[in-house]
Order: sequence, then structure tokens, then C-alpha cells
Amino acid sequence: MTSVPAILTEDQRDCYQEITNVAMGQAADSLARLLGAYVVLPIPRVSIIECSELNMALHEAGSDDSVSAVCQGFIGAGIAGEALLLFNDTSFASLASLMKYAGPLNHQAELELLMDTASVLIGACVQGLGDQLEIHFNQSHPVVLGQHCQTDDILRSGNQAWQRTLAIEIHYTIEHMNIDCELLLLFTEESVKTLNKKIDFLLD
Amino acid sequence: MNLNVLICDDSSFARKQMARALPPEWNVEVHFAGDGVEGVSAIREGKGDVVFLDLTMPNLDGYGVLETIRRDDLPAMVIVVSGDIQPDAQERVKALGAMAFIKKPIDAGKARDVLTEYGILTGV
Amino acid sequence: MTQGQIEITDIHWLMDILQNIDVGLVVLDRDYRIHLWNGFMESHSGISPQKAKDQILFSLFDEIPEAWFRQKAEPVFQLRTRTFTIWEQRPFLFRFYNSRPITGQSELMFQNTTIIPLESLDRTVNHICLIVYDVTDTAISRGEVSKANESLSAVTSKDSLTGLLNRDSWLPTLDHAIAEHRNHQQSSALLVVDLDHFRDVNRVLGHVRSDEILKRIATALSTLAQENCTARIGGELFALLLKNTESEQAIATAERLRRGIAGLTKSAGTDISASVGVAMSHDALTDAQDWLNCADKALYHAKESGKNKTTLYQYKTQE
Repeated sequence: MTSVPAILTEDQRDCYQEITNVAMGQAADSLARLLGAYVVLPIPRVSIIECSELNMALHEAGSDDSVSAVCQGFIGAGIAGEALLLFNDTSFASLASLMKYAGPLNHQAELELLMDTASVLIGACVQGLGDQLEIHFNQSHPVVLGQHCQTDDILRSGNQAWQRTLAIEIHYTIEHMNIDCELLLLFTEESVKTLNKKIDFLLD
Repeated sequence: MNLNVLICDDSSFARKQMARALPPEWNVEVHFAGDGVEGVSAIREGKGDVVFLDLTMPNLDGYGVLETIRRDDLPAMVIVVSGDIQPDAQERVKALGAMAFIKKPIDAGKARDVLTEYGILTGV
Repeated sequence: MTQGQIEITDIHWLMDILQNIDVGLVVLDRDYRIHLWNGFMESHSGISPQKAKDQILFSLFDEIPEAWFRQKAEPVFQLRTRTFTIWEQRPFLFRFYNSRPITGQSELMFQNTTIIPLESLDRTVNHICLIVYDVTDTAISRGEVSKANESLSAVTSKDSLTGLLNRDSWLPTLDHAIAEHRNHQQSSALLVVDLDHFRDVNRVLGHVRSDEILKRIATALSTLAQENCTARIGGELFALLLKNTESEQAIATAERLRRGIAGLTKSAGTDISASVGVAMSHDALTDAQDWLNCADKALYHAKESGKNKTTLYQYKTQE
């Protein structure tokens, strides 16, 4: 197994943050058009995290409320990872009204909202990163990790065999709306080396 | 006397990209600021005749800088350079007095177009 | 491979591959008219590419909910982003029937779909490609896993024939009753019920009808005790715990049960009877197993003294 450097250089971290900033801006623009609302953009968090910290990262995102989550893999040019979108369950009512979903807000309707939002947000963000790094990412089908569950249960199905890897966390909120979601991009340990090379190339 | 250009962005990578995107023949003095607070004080020192301003920054964000410029009537022509490309964001910065909006990642051709359009890149 | 490098033979190859690949490919324009329809789609729908060409998707397949599909497809045109649908949302987009009589496990094909933007030369998106994946095996295996999990948890705590608790999951109820007796002087009764000469019954009636008898007894037991107090603890051995019950009441219940079981004789057409051992909760009991042993001794006594009887276990008085 290739080892992942424990820390990124400040220049690398800065560069990841900047290209994420651009990619999430594109994703926010897509989401804003879909919802007809303004998406508040935070400063993304780029870090090397230990496997044991993953749960903690999710906890910060989901707090103690029940959450719903979708995961989608992406791969291209030797770089692979998964995007995890974590929705606070209290967001669905507002989301339904913005998306003009008629009918009862049941389990099925929430699944539709979750999938529609995830498609746009994950797709645009991953493509945005790919454009800047000149990588064409293919995306696998989304997998629903759970609806109305605790953050602890989200990761239970996976076999997290990695030690430490690159994580990018983006916390999206919608202005004046109770909509709250966390997008976490997690790359495979093996991808980080290739990714760092691409970044160093941009920095030159 | 040369024109003073200020590039205000929290990312050193973005600052470098912006500086590279400036027309090479443009004879200006380039200054840098790492966040909104630094940006405002640089403008007060006269280092920001033209400002390339990012929006998402710690301490004081781009909106805050624009508000300060307007409130204190600071002499700066601001071109916002941001990854936040939502139509709403563009309208807001224009309303706050920004002259133009360029989306990230910055493109040299686009920077030249904007500078030419507003008559800043004359007499070169 | 840049466009300039694509030779005519390469295009033929690509067309062959599109035709033979085991996923569905459909190209649609802004009016949802079909422009490309590959072999997979033809095979499963029975509609030829010639017939599908220029048809509006929704008029050809009325099982596709138009509003729903548009909601998934419009962002692809407008935002140039890919969208995805998974079988958990809708099991299928096209009603394709199972095409595998031997290994097929579902009547209909479960489908995941991806919708991707197709750029024209001028970089506008006027067409989209709908990619259809057959995910029947995944969906079925996932469905079975949850079904299997369900039955697994039932199997581990319950007896599969009668639905009563099994011995292991029922024993804690006894421990709890012992504690209740100790702490609150609340008296409970344990009844163990064993069918007499069941081997003969089995031989005469056969397994199917014998099992029916066991099920009827289980039902009778359930009506006598609270929930989670009845169990099948052996082949033809049942047990029930009567909470908050004194010995006379327990014996009366046991007798009622014994008579009821004997009453099955008529409908079964062969002698059916049961012996019952009763043991009351007691300060001397150490644990559930201890209590069960006492009830077993009473049952043994009932059997030894002629079967079709109820016996109450007598604790030795410690004086």
C-alpha cells in the first residue's frame, strides 16, 4: 500500500482549497438554479484524516439529528474516491417546497429529493474538480446509505480498510431556508500521490 | 506614476494565478492581500487603484470589503473574481459597487476583455 | 483518440460495440424524440430502431411517468450535469420482462439509469443519452438479504413451526420472574406440557398432521399466558409462565389445558393427551434452569403415574 503523507504542504493545501472553492461554486450555481434560491458558500476544509476521524467528521456535520445519506463513487485517470452527501432530515420540508414537490412528504418523496439534490451537487462538484485538474471523472450509481438514521449507522456498511487519506468537506446551507447538508469528498489512499502530482503541476 | 493593482484573495495559489492572468504589457505595480482586512488597509495606503477581489475569505469577506469601500468612499475600482458564480452573487456585488465580475478559474483573455471594456487598459 | 484520428473502420467498430453492449443506450433530443436505440433496447422491447426513430419516448412507453422523467432529464439539458436514478426510487423505467427462464429471479427487470449530456459541435446541449442498466440481480439479492435477515432474527428467537419463543430466548423470562418473587413476593407458576406417546401419534397421523396438532396446542398456550411467556422448548415439549398466579389457579389452568388437548382426540382420530408438570416460584430457586428442573420432576411424576395428568411440584420444607 502506498503511504499517504501525514501532512500536505501549505501550498498544496491552499491549492486544493482553491480548486474546491471553484468547483463548489459551480455546484452551488447548479443547485441554485435547480432550487431558485441562493446557496451560501463556506470556505471548504481540506485535510488529511485518519480513518478513525471519519466518524467524527460526520458527527460534526450531522450533529445529533437524524440524517439521510447518499454516496457516489467517481474515478478517472488513476484517481478515485467517493462523494458522500449527508442531509439533515429537517431539511426535507424546505427542499420539497423549493423543488415544488406536490403530494405527501413520505419516505419515497424524500428519496426522490435526496437523489435529485445529490445528482446535481455531487455531479457538478466532481466535474468542477475534474475540469481544473484536466481529468474526466466517471461516476458510478449513487447508493443510499440510509434514511432517517444516526450518523453512526451511516458508515456501518462499509469496510474502511484505509489508514489516512485526503478529505474535502463542504458545508452547504441555503439562505433563509432550513436546508443543511454536508458534502464530503474522500479519495482513496492510492489516489493521493497522483493527485498531489497534479496539484504540484498546477503550482509550478 | 504607475497604476497600483491589488490582488486580494486568501489563497496564495489564486493570487499567483491572478497575477499571471494580467496582461504582460500592462505597466502596473502589483500588490497582494491575504484577506479582506489586509485588503482594506492596502487600499487605504493607496495600493488599490484597481482591485481584483475574491468573495469567500476569512476575517472580512469580499462583500465586507465592498461595503467598507462604499461607506468610506475609498478610491478603488473593484473587479470581483470569484468561484461563487450564482447569478445572485453577481447582482449583489454589482449592487455594492463592483465594476465587473469575473468567474474563477481566472482566464487571461477574460481579464484583458474586462480591463479593455472599462478603459483601464488604455495607453499601453 | 481525437476526432481527426477516427477512421471509418473505427466508427464501424464503435457501432458494433454499441449494438452489442449489454446496457441500454437511447439518445433523445429536447422533445424527447428518440435518435438512437441500441441492440439492448431493441431486444428487450421488441421495438426495432427503425420503428423507434423519431418517436416520442413517452408515447412509445406509457409506463414512463413523463413529469417524473422530465424532472430528472431537464437538469441535464440546462445544467449539463449527469443525473442518476436508482431502482430504489422506481424499480424500472421500461417495463422489460425477465428474459432468463433458468437463472432469472424476477418477473421484471430492475433498472438503474444514468442520463448524460451530449454536446454538439458548438458546445450546446441539445441531446441527452439515457443509459439503462439491468440491476435485477443486485436488487433481488439485496431484497433477499433483508428478507433473510428478517427470518434469521425470527429463527434465532422463535420456533419456526409454532412461532412461539424458543428455549434460549424464553429462559430470561423465568429469571425475571424469580427476581420478582424474591423482591416483591410476587408468585408465578411454571407449567411444562409434554404430549403423551407422541411417537405413536406421529406414526398414525404422519408429520404434516402431527405438526398441525403442535400448532394448535401452541395457539391454545398463547391464549392462556401473557406475551413472551410461552415457548416450545423441545420436540413435543411446551412451557408457559403464568405471572402473578397462585398454585390453585395454576393447577386449574393446567387442568383446563390438559382437557383441551385431550379434546383434540376427536378431530385427530387418534388418542391425543398431555401431561403437565407445575412448579411455583420459590425462595429456594437459584435460576431458571433450577426452576425448570423442578417442573420437569413434576412432569416425570405425572407421566409415571399414568399420563394425561397434572402434578404440582412439592418443595421440601426446611425446618
